[in-house]
Amino acid sequence: MKKYNLYMTLTILISMSIWGCNPLKLDEIDDPNNPSVGSVSNNASRQQIQFVLTGLEARHRGYVTNVSQAWNTFGREIWYLNGSDPRFQTDWLGQNGRVPDRSYFGFGNTGGGSYAAPYQAINQANVLIRAANNTTFLNDSEKRAVAGFAKMIQGYQFMIPANFVYNNGIRIDVEDPLNPGPFVPYAQAMDHVRNILVEADADFNAAGTGNFPLALTSGFSGFNTIAGLRQVNNAILARANAYRQDWQGVLTALNSSFMNLNGPLNIGPAHPYVGPPDAFNPLFYVPNAPTTTIIVVHPSVLEDALPNDNRRTKFFQRNTPVTVSTDAGVLTGTHQDARWPSNTTSIPFIKNEELILLKAEAHANLDQFADAVAAINIIRNAAGIGPYTGATSRAALIDEILFQRRYSLWAEPWGHRWIDARRYDRLNQIPTNFDGGTIFTQFPHPQAELSWDQYTGN
Amino acid sequence: MRKAYKLTAVLALLFLSVGWSYAQYTVTGIVTDARTGEPLIGANVLIRNTTTGTVANLDGRFTLNVPGNNEVVLVISSLGYLSQNFTVSQSNNNLQVALREDATNLEEVVVTGLASSVKRSNLANAVSSVSSRELTGTTTIQTTDGALYGKIAGATIRSNGGAPGGGLSIQLRGISSLSGASQPLIILDGVYINNSFQRTGRAAVTGAGASNQDDGSNRLADLNPADIETIEVLKGPSAAAIYGTRANAGVIIITTKRGAEGKTKVSLAQDIGFAQPLRLLGVDDWSEEKINFFFPEANNRRQIELQRFREGNRIDYEDYFYNNTALLSNTRLTVTGGNEKTKFFVSGNITSEDGTVRRTGFDRYSIRANIDHKISNSIRLGVSSNYIQSNTDRGFTGNQNNTGASIGYTIAYVPNYFDLRPVNGIYPDNPYFNDNPAAITDNAINNSEVNRFVQSFTLDIDLLKTNNSFLKANIAGGLDFLQNSTMIYLPEFLQSQRASANPGDLLIGKQESFNSNFQAALVYNWNLGQVNMNSQAGLVRLDFKNSSLFNRGRGLVPGQTNLRQAAVQEINENFNSEIQEAGVFLQQEANWEDKVIGTVGVRWDKSTLNGNANQFYAFPRASLAVNIANFDFFNSTVVNQLKPRIAYGETAGPVAFGNIYTPLIGANIGGLLGSVVSSQVGNERIFPETATELEFGVDAGLFNNRLGIEATYYIKNTQNNIQNLNLSPAAGVNTTPSNEAELQNKGIELGISGTIVDKSDFRWFSRVLYWRNRVNLTRLGIPTYTAGAFGSGLGTFLYAQGFPPTTIVGTPADPNVPGGFTIWGDAQPDFNMSFYNTISLKKNLELSFLVDWRQGGDNINLTSFLTDSGGTTNGWFNDDNGDGIPNGRQRPPAPHNNAARWVQDASFVKVREIGLYYTFPRTQVANMFGGALENIKIGASANNVFLFTKYEGYDPETSTFGAQSVANNVDIAPYPTPRRIFFHITLDF
Repeated sequence: MKKYNLYMTLTILISMSIWGCNPLKLDEIDDPNNPSVGSVSNNASRQQIQFVLTGLEARHRGYVTNVSQAWNTFGREIWYLNGSDPRFQTDWLGQNGRVPDRSYFGFGNTGGGSYAAPYQAINQANVLIRAANNTTFLNDSEKRAVAGFAKMIQGYQFMIPANFVYNNGIRIDVEDPLNPGPFVPYAQAMDHVRNILVEADADFNAAGTGNFPLALTSGFSGFNTIAGLRQVNNAILARANAYRQDWQGVLTALNSSFMNLNGPLNIGPAHPYVGPPDAFNPLFYVPNAPTTTIIVVHPSVLEDALPNDNRRTKFFQRNTPVTVSTDAGVLTGTHQDARWPSNTTSIPFIKNEELILLKAEAHANLDQFADAVAAINIIRNAAGIGPYTGATSRAALIDEILFQRRYSLWAEPWGHRWIDARRYDRLNQIPTNFDGGTIFTQFPHPQAELSWDQYTGN
Repeated sequence: MRKAYKLTAVLALLFLSVGWSYAQYTVTGIVTDARTGEPLIGANVLIRNTTTGTVANLDGRFTLNVPGNNEVVLVISSLGYLSQNFTVSQSNNNLQVALREDATNLEEVVVTGLASSVKRSNLANAVSSVSSRELTGTTTIQTTDGALYGKIAGATIRSNGGAPGGGLSIQLRGISSLSGASQPLIILDGVYINNSFQRTGRAAVTGAGASNQDDGSNRLADLNPADIETIEVLKGPSAAAIYGTRANAGVIIITTKRGAEGKTKVSLAQDIGFAQPLRLLGVDDWSEEKINFFFPEANNRRQIELQRFREGNRIDYEDYFYNNTALLSNTRLTVTGGNEKTKFFVSGNITSEDGTVRRTGFDRYSIRANIDHKISNSIRLGVSSNYIQSNTDRGFTGNQNNTGASIGYTIAYVPNYFDLRPVNGIYPDNPYFNDNPAAITDNAINNSEVNRFVQSFTLDIDLLKTNNSFLKANIAGGLDFLQNSTMIYLPEFLQSQRASANPGDLLIGKQESFNSNFQAALVYNWNLGQVNMNSQAGLVRLDFKNSSLFNRGRGLVPGQTNLRQAAVQEINENFNSEIQEAGVFLQQEANWEDKVIGTVGVRWDKSTLNGNANQFYAFPRASLAVNIANFDFFNSTVVNQLKPRIAYGETAGPVAFGNIYTPLIGANIGGLLGSVVSSQVGNERIFPETATELEFGVDAGLFNNRLGIEATYYIKNTQNNIQNLNLSPAAGVNTTPSNEAELQNKGIELGISGTIVDKSDFRWFSRVLYWRNRVNLTRLGIPTYTAGAFGSGLGTFLYAQGFPPTTIVGTPADPNVPGGFTIWGDAQPDFNMSFYNTISLKKNLELSFLVDWRQGGDNINLTSFLTDSGGTTNGWFNDDNGDGIPNGRQRPPAPHNNAARWVQDASFVKVREIGLYYTFPRTQVANMFGGALENIKIGASANNVFLFTKYEGYDPETSTFGAQSVANNVDIAPYPTPRRIFFHITLDF
């Protein structure tokens, strides 16, 4: 009996301990690391909207590293020498007959920084617009201001995939992530960019005056009013209209932009990089860094530069050149990028100098040569190379403007030369004799796009 | 398994004490070893199908009272021997029993359920067991998983590289998951231990990328292999179904040694050894002709190189960095003993092993106490406690990006005429790459210190006993707490650091994991006529908590490794996870006189990882084994055992943590915090990937079981395999996890083992294992894609229906192949074979060795790619086809620009282990030391002794991405695998 008492006691104790904390009951475990996307979809607080808005600024610069390194390589503004991974040379320069495929090095299956990243910014903007529209914590004009900002960024970002895949076309209807619309041709995509920027302008117009209602980073300092952002929006529209060859549209947009013929050329909004917890400026390299991984100035840029052009200060001659060997041979860089005084310098994404050059280009294409030359001379005089003395034909002026753009907009995070040469059907003028590579025209749709259409049966 | 065995003995004794006043007669006898004639102390004598029995005394003699007057069958058994049955009666009541050694492990007890075990001869599955003798008896292996190479049919074991401190992946029966690493569940004395590859942050600091390129160790490295009594490997769902959700990739059950009743034994063992690289490849010599070919004239580069060549020394950097002799030391002290009530096994271990690269090494300190105590005659408590500290310095090898913080990566680019060695403490800048690896090796730190405590308990309570049945409760559980402190440090004076705006890089990590598990089961053993029934029911609870915090500091005060001494401080990672799981199980075993043995069982599991945390998923199993030789009609003199068997089971693989969430991720910009929409969309309907396996085979014992044959065929199908569905990137989101894919693994496992010679002074045991697996993606469910490694240009992997996911594809494009690239290879081996031998001479001398052969299976050898780029591959400047273009610029196949150039056959034969031991005769020891010493054993051994391969790398078994289901065969400048040679001495007091 004594034993049985012991068993009973034990059994009771054990069952109590089991059922006291029922081992079969599981707690609900929420994501311990992040809020959910759903948390901002319904009546988000002002602070939550602010976080999503700043998130949009973060997504807005997602393209910078990839586009700066790759597109500027395609246009032979730079070489990205990379001792650790030779494919930055061999593949991006199209050496040994390499041509872009659907999962090309540096772009992956999604197109990476040149395709997926800009669309992430576009999606972020859509989430922001919805969050702002679905809250009671913003008034109507504040909602319009947020929508204007979001659409402005969308207009800018749509141009990146559009120019990456060019004639292959892009999707412009991307409101529903699981049901994206069809691919539309380049011209239609650029029309969409224009339309969205025009909508942004209307939103800003209805957003009242004064300061933008939420905090923007220092990248927008000088532009963080409703009026200032509207000028930025029109600057972006001017660039888009140039790609659309709507030359009158360029001039109209420039008139509402922050273009200032007498002001500093480098003024404009920028992507800030202030260091941890933020990122560092990805284009900064320590002068004379003892490294084999560095962006160097393409030899053709050095060769073609005019002797007294003070834009040459963008190029810093190293004490020792950088040499990297690959299975396609050896490349040597003598100059590095000197535009960034430190690794916390902001990177402008559109600036007054470009706007003046767009003005020149629009006038030239409209055969308003005197206005074109006047604009060109603003740039030339600033560069210290004296007024334009060449022919005043459209062809000659376009030559001149494209040349000035090479140095004024050298290696900006946009790949200007690659796009410009393609716009004017001059890709064959980009030299390949320094690296034996090929000049790409455009990229195919990334593999993931193909796979998605296959998955959905489109 | 000794534990379970001892328990049986104890039970038997217990039941003896129950007095029976009915009619009875007495049986006496003696049990001896058939080969040596020595008495078998402690041999078990049991009346079949009852709980009545006894054990043999010190002289091997036993006396047993048999109740009733009828004849009964006595089962006489002893650990390591084949049991025998004898019919006794009142007239036939004196037995002379000579037991044969169980060369083919038929008698071994194998854990098959959460609370039950069965002897191997009755087993319906091909469960591999590795005894401590096989595991560590030949040589000293640093980590437990490293000691399993070639010992488990069906296992593919692969190491990251040769860095000290482990880093091994085990895949059982192919690939069970596309997204995880497809690693088996590891259970140590009942505890679900953490075997993850933890982050060290090396890849973040060196720029290599994600943490899967850290070359971190998996945490099985913490376990002292010498503590292990046995390892059982449930290779697939048919054997592992009762483990439910986490058993898709198999289960490895590790049981540590326990104390035995008797005199307290103290044993001290010391190994001293050294290690050198198993294989080096040599570097290419340079000439002026080669320099003229290699370097361009532009910017005077060629002249500079020629001048360096004319003035410089010649240095073989492979030799300089890798070819060092490392000291290895391993000290083990064990104290075991106990009395009838309490038994203990206490062990301490100090492993101190250097690496062959300077300033690398692995130190492990382990203390273990395993205690068994009988609280009363019917309540038994077992506890196992293990504290471990491991300290690992793995150095800088493998992939890197722009930092030069990898020896192999960097020296691939340095010609042998340029001297990187320091002069008066000053390291010259490396003009060929981003850093000087000599400076890195001598000054940088890659350290991980683990403090870990593993505790388990089991409580067995006999609730009910009758003459032929018992009811027992088993309550078991435990915890595994692990803290890993890591440090990666690149001092500010390094070349790569001077090239950065904030020189000096420090990444300090703290990771904690806490696993706990609890299990309660009722086991009822009863008899239904001649059928012995074992019924079990129980529940299981698992909890896993992980947290990590990594902080990085850049711009360091010289020589300082405190984050506060950094100009730029950042939180690099802060991640927490919590997982809860619960399950219920039922199992019924039936054994008809060891002739027909059947099992059915089911487990239901739920988990907070699943989209629906409260849904139970069911995992049934059933198995049947028929011992034909135990039937009366069977009377072959050659075949002693013949057992066809068949087993079916289902398991699952867990959903990864976080798959159900669509988060807003923190993103800092310009001093503000932003919330960005994650590019992964969570799937709130995700559920575990499930596997079904049908396994059948036959086991046979021939010539008095001197020869054993085990043949198994299995078909393992997995469904609902989780993989990322790529969304349209234009949607602004990239992936969502999906349950679409299906995999099939089919394979054969053969084992032949036997005692070839069995004389009293010469015994030769030999075992051959053969296994092959074929994996096929039977359904993809989402569009064909390629993934893994470094993209199509350097070889990647094809995920397409009808193809193995181990298929290596790459440039150039081939529109006829799904996915659009040319097929260049397959990572999956054609087959594996291993050959284990142990030879005993005159009882004192023992030689054993293990040879491992893998046929087929390709690697992506990017080390060759790097050395070819840098012109340093041995033979680079030779020109085999005489066309003026050196080999290094013209790797086949033509036109010498495709991915196939780096896909290489990784077949090999390795002499894995050799050991030779001499045990001094006891009388001699007694004479010399007068009783102070009982036993002396000395020996010499070697690990990774020889490698035969055409593969052009340090080791065909390498993985720069660590443990992964696919893409675990990529070779990037790994730490060369060492050859380890040891001298051993063991003293028993």
